[in-house]
Amino acid sequence: MTIQIERLTKIYNPDTDFPITAVGDVTVEIGQGEFVAVMGPSGSGKTTLLNMLGGIDRPTSGRVLIDGEDITALEDKELIGFRRDNIGFIFQDFSLLPVLTAKENVEFVMQLQGRSQRECEARAMELLTEVGLGDRADNVPGKLSGGQQQRVAVARALAPKPRFVLADEPTANLDAATTRGLLDIMQRLNEKEGTTFIFSTHDPRVIGRARRVIVFEDGKITEDRVQGEDRTE
Amino acid sequence: MTPLFTIKLAWRNIWRQKRRTLITASAIAAAMLLSLFIRSMQEGSYALNLDNATRFYSGYLQLQHPEFSENQSIDKLLPSTEEFVGEIRGIEGLTTAVPRIESFALGAAGEKSKGVIVMGVDPGGEDAYSGLAARVKEGRYFQRDDEESVLIGGRLATYFGLAVGDKFILYGQGYHGVTAAGLYHVAGVLNYPNQQMDSRIVYLPLKTAQNLYNTGEQVTAWVLHGENVKGIPALEEAARSRMGEGVKVRNWADISPELAQTIGLDRASGQFLVLVLYIVVGFGLFATIVMMTLERQREFGVMLATGLVRSKLQLLLVLEALFLGVTGIALGMAVTWPLLLWFYFNPIPLTGDIALMMEEMGWEPIIPFSLAPELFGAQILIVLAILALCSLYPLIRIGRLRVVTALKG
Repeated sequence: MTIQIERLTKIYNPDTDFPITAVGDVTVEIGQGEFVAVMGPSGSGKTTLLNMLGGIDRPTSGRVLIDGEDITALEDKELIGFRRDNIGFIFQDFSLLPVLTAKENVEFVMQLQGRSQRECEARAMELLTEVGLGDRADNVPGKLSGGQQQRVAVARALAPKPRFVLADEPTANLDAATTRGLLDIMQRLNEKEGTTFIFSTHDPRVIGRARRVIVFEDGKITEDRVQGEDRTE
Repeated sequence: MTPLFTIKLAWRNIWRQKRRTLITASAIAAAMLLSLFIRSMQEGSYALNLDNATRFYSGYLQLQHPEFSENQSIDKLLPSTEEFVGEIRGIEGLTTAVPRIESFALGAAGEKSKGVIVMGVDPGGEDAYSGLAARVKEGRYFQRDDEESVLIGGRLATYFGLAVGDKFILYGQGYHGVTAAGLYHVAGVLNYPNQQMDSRIVYLPLKTAQNLYNTGEQVTAWVLHGENVKGIPALEEAARSRMGEGVKVRNWADISPELAQTIGLDRASGQFLVLVLYIVVGFGLFATIVMMTLERQREFGVMLATGLVRSKLQLLLVLEALFLGVTGIALGMAVTWPLLLWFYFNPIPLTGDIALMMEEMGWEPIIPFSLAPELFGAQILIVLAILALCSLYPLIRIGRLRVVTALKG
């Protein structure tokens, strides 16, 4: 699986006197199984980049190719299906459905895929066990700690066997120990499932664990390095 | 997402804010309770009053000559024989069929005269139907072979200064233009429930009336009555199909439009009250649904981002609104049904002057209640209609929701 971002640009209020360029002419490629951190200060455009990468937002110009398929050209309905089957999302505030148990939250996207109940349950339990919450499967999010909720969110993101996972500042609300545990889990799943992980973050703990770091400033990539190997363009 | 999962999610969602859901459901239940109480009391009273009132005059239905209703001509008659009415005796729900001659004449006694309504009735059948004998406040009811007697309304008797045993003359036009004239004795004075009728009504035995108007074995109408008001349309339809084109079947509303209008106006006032009640509750329900939609924008954004299609999210919200409404309806029915059942079997007794007046009229001084299923059905439909209307908001909101904006909360 290869993600190719070609001259991607996002301009807010393009037809006004004060257009804001959130992402400007970005080109980058991310390969199968990478563990990538997109870092930069608040307002640098990293979330906008991830949104376009996830087909949640549409670019003003440029393309996002997933294994050669231009997702920016997809209709809204096609895009929904694409997101459901190919992309896992992890949000800063966990964003679990509060009325569903941990297991049901993990099953949710698989339910959308139309998988059988048995398959959903088996995969949910497998992932919850993997993230260390096999014994909390029947707890609703309100009964789980922040770290536990984010681990459920990781399991949910991986449940539909996506081609890549987008995580928007996943550790922003977690303490150091929890963050370390979560990163261990994500790294292990990245290796085990071969799923590409792309984080937006300014958390040095995450950046330290990433194998590749893309530095973003004012909507542009200022640095792209594999940890220990400088790829600045 | 399977239907079962959607239902589970919707049901749990409405209980996220237990207090709000309970308050909203209680508001629906309270509206149902009040409106059903009002409507049940109204319809129960209409049915009883209609039954009482029609017995004295129109019946539920009347069979008439097709042209009788145009000018109430004594020339437009139907046979008074059992063979004629035998056709409809077997109609299910029909309890009574009594013959009547209803016409006009000039009544005279002493120096006074006045236009009166002449009602020729079968003494036995009429008493069994309307309890006419019980209305006699002075004198006596008709006896067998009583051919020269009349019963007159109390106010009419006062007008003429008549007492039991006095002579009374009727003069008018009979069948095919013959002169109708007769001299009778006042056998009894009636206490007629309707004041207007009390000052104009004169009852004669049917045979005497037929002789007066020279109609032979004919009458102006056959009065039909059924088991209950609800069954009137079916009775009317059956009578119409059995009697054919040569007989006109008229219902009570056609014969007594004033009574129908009075009931119609009263019913409309009750329905208006119910409407106002539901508008108020509707706004409460709308507020809840708006809150349920607005406070979950980010959640909707997450669901759409992860692959839930808009139509399914809209279905989820409609289901939530439906569950909220159904909870209110269930609560409403749980409270209302036993209450109305109690009042159905234990009607509210009237006291004081109203009770006395009703007893004088021969009516039971009570406010009865109706348990007609359509009353309950109407309330449920109203709640569901309000829900459908309120659900438009989340449907439109979700239709326009931008995922990226929603994710920002």
